[in-house]
Amino acid sequence: MHIQYLHWNAAHGWGGAKALREPAQLVLYFGSREHLAGGERYRELRGLYPRSHIVGCTTGGQIQGDDINDDEIIAVALHFARTQVRLVHEVIESRDASRACGAGLARQLAGTDLAGVFVLSDGLNVNGSELIAGITEVLGSDLPVTGGLAGDGTRLEQTLVGADGEPSTNRVAAIGFYGRSFRIAHGCAGGWDVFGPRRKVTKSAGPVLVQLDGEPPLDLYSRYLGEEDAVAMPGSGLAFPLRIHDESAPDRQIVRSVFAVDRDARTLTFAADIPEGCTAQLMRANFDSLAAGAGEAGRQARSALAGEIAGDKLAILVSCTGRRRVMGQRTQDELDAVGAELGDDVVRIGFYSYGEIAPPAATGRCELHNQTMTVTMIAEAAG
Amino acid sequence: MHRLLARQIRQTTDEAGQVDLTRLGELVSAAYEESDRDRRRTDRAIKLMIEELEQTHKRAEQNLLRAREFLDSIIENIPIAVVAKEAKDSRYVLLNRACEAFYGMPREDMLGKTPDEIFPKEVARLINEVDRRVADNGRPIVVEGHRFEFGKDLDRVVNSRKLLIRDGDGAPQYLVGVIEDVTERITNEARIDHLAHHDALTDLPNRSAFNGALNERLQHAQEALTGFAVLSLDLDRFKEVNDVFGHPVGDMLMRAAADRLATEADGAFVARIGGDEFMILMPDGVRREEVLAIAGRLVEVVGKELEVDDYLSQVGLSVGVALYPDDGIDAATLLANAESALYRAKRDGGGRVRFFETEMDRELRDRRLLQHDLRHALEQNQLLVHFQPQARMDGEVTGFEALVRWNHPTRGLVPPDQFISLAEENGLIVQIGEWVLREACREAASWPRPLQVAVNLSPVQFQAGDLERSIHQILLETGLAPTRLEVEITEGVLIGDFTRALGLLRRLKALGIRIAMDDFGTGYSSLSYLQSFPFDKIKIDRSFISNLESTPQSAEIVRAVLGLAHALNIPVVAEGVETEAQRTFLEREACDEMQGFLVGRPDVIERYLDLVGIDVARLRYA
Repeated sequence: MHIQYLHWNAAHGWGGAKALREPAQLVLYFGSREHLAGGERYRELRGLYPRSHIVGCTTGGQIQGDDINDDEIIAVALHFARTQVRLVHEVIESRDASRACGAGLARQLAGTDLAGVFVLSDGLNVNGSELIAGITEVLGSDLPVTGGLAGDGTRLEQTLVGADGEPSTNRVAAIGFYGRSFRIAHGCAGGWDVFGPRRKVTKSAGPVLVQLDGEPPLDLYSRYLGEEDAVAMPGSGLAFPLRIHDESAPDRQIVRSVFAVDRDARTLTFAADIPEGCTAQLMRANFDSLAAGAGEAGRQARSALAGEIAGDKLAILVSCTGRRRVMGQRTQDELDAVGAELGDDVVRIGFYSYGEIAPPAATGRCELHNQTMTVTMIAEAAG
Repeated sequence: MHRLLARQIRQTTDEAGQVDLTRLGELVSAAYEESDRDRRRTDRAIKLMIEELEQTHKRAEQNLLRAREFLDSIIENIPIAVVAKEAKDSRYVLLNRACEAFYGMPREDMLGKTPDEIFPKEVARLINEVDRRVADNGRPIVVEGHRFEFGKDLDRVVNSRKLLIRDGDGAPQYLVGVIEDVTERITNEARIDHLAHHDALTDLPNRSAFNGALNERLQHAQEALTGFAVLSLDLDRFKEVNDVFGHPVGDMLMRAAADRLATEADGAFVARIGGDEFMILMPDGVRREEVLAIAGRLVEVVGKELEVDDYLSQVGLSVGVALYPDDGIDAATLLANAESALYRAKRDGGGRVRFFETEMDRELRDRRLLQHDLRHALEQNQLLVHFQPQARMDGEVTGFEALVRWNHPTRGLVPPDQFISLAEENGLIVQIGEWVLREACREAASWPRPLQVAVNLSPVQFQAGDLERSIHQILLETGLAPTRLEVEITEGVLIGDFTRALGLLRRLKALGIRIAMDDFGTGYSSLSYLQSFPFDKIKIDRSFISNLESTPQSAEIVRAVLGLAHALNIPVVAEGVETEAQRTFLEREACDEMQGFLVGRPDVIERYLDLVGIDVARLRYA
């Protein structure tokens, strides 16, 4: 596999490393909503890579190596020697169709030599858990599926995904990698700690949390955030994710971030369903624990990539917008931590998301996460 | 240098190595702000968390307190004594209200003390011993139905349970005692048990108890090869007493009779098995002569006049005896045979003792068979009506008495005294009586001469069914003038619900029907009956007439009855007149009418066609 790194900024337009000797099968690109909306950048990429699948999404910040930036679009063009790439995508009509959409995409991708799937999805109008459930019910839980939900800074207004076309809302794209040579490895970790009393979800409706211990959840969050930060909900709420305890699977780490707030009903909407009757606990983190968590994700991915590799290695980092919100300038600490684990020979790109997709080390079953760093490494085996 | 500062300097240094101090200042300042914000958030979170945890703790404490108060109030108010002691030194730590009542002392006198400091030495020793056993082996001790060891009321019977409660580490912590007063329950159970096996009126064992005793006796007799006697007893005339004097007197009489039986049958098992029936089990090995002697004494004492509530009354006793093993080796046979013997004793006039004989069994069986056949007699047209003429003393026939006969397909004619009582027992008399009435009226309506027709009514007909409506209906159907119908009743009709019977008779009389008092001179012959109802006729019982010539008393009685009737202006019919001598006597004494073989036997109406005014020759050749 060979990688060509590219970047775009308003001052200089596209620039980057020298072109690949052979045509790329896949181009991945990440940028802010301001830069990707309208499709201008996509059309320019299409001009550069007329025969490649071009897939990208909006973010809460782009990751390039150890750096984060909000002003540049970053992209990689990938040429695989012995791996076939297939792109499928769908526009989802409503959140309720998420599971069916996942299953539909998976059916289009299914094949005996399917070796891995990378998913980019709208980050606000899709029920991520259901989407993944739909995918894994068709492909099985052993096939590696990773990816992320598109972001929109901390505004949580609109997210875009482009798949061989102009980026748009409600889109879900899935890239299938085929062949025995394809290698995919992943890691996923958070670094958050629970705090405060366990609370009972006394009323909920899907992802909408209506009552926590009989109290509107917005009241609880407002208390914990303080007046100043409460005004900035839902973005500020990312500082306090919710740990959901699944009584039937105590090992399962379910962490959910606030995605929307209804100030009249005083309810909060989370990234996925909050089952009524379960217990929930607030979580918090400090800079060091988050960085350590990211390092752990890097270590998992690196150690999972086995055998001799031919050509370049790409690491796609998908980290949660909530982490960046908490860490501020210290966000780079987590990128440093991942970099230290992966080593210098791995090209690192990625983005800050509204949800991360990867199988956690504890269960190995693909899930939607919030507030984690996930690292997906792809490469091709030697020989 | 801090990693962040190094990064910030790197970010603000240009390619020439020149640091943009303004930009650096901004980054450093922003980092401070981020740190401050993070610290504020952390501080607030910690403060809120502490508050929340405190609230949670307070809530939990309150819940615990409430739960404790809830349980305390339950423990305090249950009617079961609950007591708890420290396992290590047996000092009382909890006593509820029921416990105070049990021990007869306020809990303040007990709390914090050991049994040794509270109770007498012996009681304390007992308590300590049980405590030690529970504490040593950890198993609860349950003692049921014992006397309470200490307190104001030592007659109380209690169930007690003592158990050990361990602390979190498994070490003995408390000894808990639960004491339940079951005195009432045990008394109630005994009472219920007594009620289940005894008759409420006489407090004698009941049928169920008797059956149990009989089975025990049988088993014992089979093992010990001994014999015993089963006596079936029935009070004679008890029903009449009950009817005449009312149930309260009847009940008192029943109790008195039961007392006499129980006293006299000293040592035997006496049971009241229903109505006026008793059973007695004689002791093992008793000889026939002894049974007879005891039974005879019973008949004698029960038969003695008894004064109950200012009433002098007299009942008799009939006794049937069956002997084990001669008359049966199982309960059912012994009971049936004792009953057969009793039936014979009753049939022989009551007031006597009969031992079972094989022939009795047959007789009783035969009676049952006859009763069975009687059910089909009506529908199979086996019943018929005979007519016996009644005449003035000069021989002029004035009417006929209709008499029912049963022509049994295999037995031939069954006498009325055999089957009427059977029909009265099972209620068939209502249908039979109605049928006879209809037949008699229909027949009489067809006679050219307007003669009287007399029909007997049973007391049962007065009690059951709608006799008045039924007579009315039959008169309408047959077209017989009510004045030609005469109903004959016995005293039995008036015994019982006197008022109802009297009302019915008055209404019948109002229709024009004549009412005759039958069998006068037998039974109670209460003259008050004659006073309370204007009978149209009195019929002197045949027994007086047949004895006219042999016993002077009979003549005197007949004379007296005739005198009485004449004084009351009631005509008299003499029954059973068979000889000219009897007729002459009666005519001399101014008897009004007669009935008997002298005038004519009961027979099919065809024999008396000429008397009813049908021209036989014309009928024959018409």
